Amino acid sequence: MNDDQLLRYSRHILLDEIGIEGQQAFLDARALVVGAGGLGSPAAMYLAAAGVGSIVLCDGDEVDLTNLQRQILHDAESVGAPKVLSGRRTLLRLNPEAHIEALQTRLEGEALVEQVRLADVVLDCSDNFSTRHAINRACVATRTPLVSGAAIRFDGQISVFDLRKNESPCYHCLFPEDAAGEELRCAVMGVFAPLTGIIGATQAAEALKVLAGCGTTLVGRLLLLDGLNMEWRSIRLERDPSCSVCGRPSEGGEGPH
Amino acid sequence: MRVSFKLFATLTDLLPPEREGNVVVLDVEEGTCVQDLIDRFRVPPKSAHLVLVNGVFVPPGARAGRRLMDQDELAVWPPIAGG
Repeated sequence: MNDDQLLRYSRHILLDEIGIEGQQAFLDARALVVGAGGLGSPAAMYLAAAGVGSIVLCDGDEVDLTNLQRQILHDAESVGAPKVLSGRRTLLRLNPEAHIEALQTRLEGEALVEQVRLADVVLDCSDNFSTRHAINRACVATRTPLVSGAAIRFDGQISVFDLRKNESPCYHCLFPEDAAGEELRCAVMGVFAPLTGIIGATQAAEALKVLAGCGTTLVGRLLLLDGLNMEWRSIRLERDPSCSVCGRPSEGGEGPH
Repeated sequence: MRVSFKLFATLTDLLPPEREGNVVVLDVEEGTCVQDLIDRFRVPPKSAHLVLVNGVFVPPGARAGRRLMDQDELAVWPPIAGG
């Protein structure tokens, strides 16, 4: 780190749990943020400000006037522009040193797996179950840590799935694909603006902890936020040995069947 | 006995009009089980994903037999995907 970086990141370096080593880990890291909307906005902004060296921002949509109530990556001038270009501009204003890769597409198939493979951490800030399951499959296949957040109306959920750890469940253990309810989007249901900020910022916090290897992440726990009453609940998650995505036979060879 | 019944996210609309936010307080008979209330309010089975009594998860297999007690809070979360 040069003198400017030591100064810019001094408030992180002062933290024993992060220090020079943790900050260097941020600078060397590559984060994939899928979705540049309500959750992706605060998540990517905190990652950029915190010094994550490479951020890949992926979204196929363009900025709409109805996004501006909560999607703080974008502003009135960017209405009609691709979200990833608007987002890159904001992130570079926050931290000109960051390398921001803008992918104006809905990542799928091999391209998704390749981006996940290149990433040190993946933040799922997407808005539909099929993308969420595709990201999870790619993270399981490549053993890439996944920080998953979701928000609708006043309610939010967040967890971390880290398949580098043997005991970690995957997203599919929690939400089996056939159990997914009907998809109701913010456009129909509404969403409370700061709720996406709370959940997205929490995703950034968990991603940075994964990168620095500090503290205890949300692996094996799901946080539920009742934003209307401002109550958090934490429930324990266990991996499903018979999960069709991450199911692994137990050590002794005694399979579930 | 009285219990609180909370439905989150997209399920809140299933509560009666007298709901306060996402919660309604109900007078129920002794012996009422978790699944009884889920059925009474027509929560679709696939949407009754995370069921909690006083913040503790009740797995699907235990819901039919789990009796509610006076002052319990039953909460039901659907899967959510919004971003």
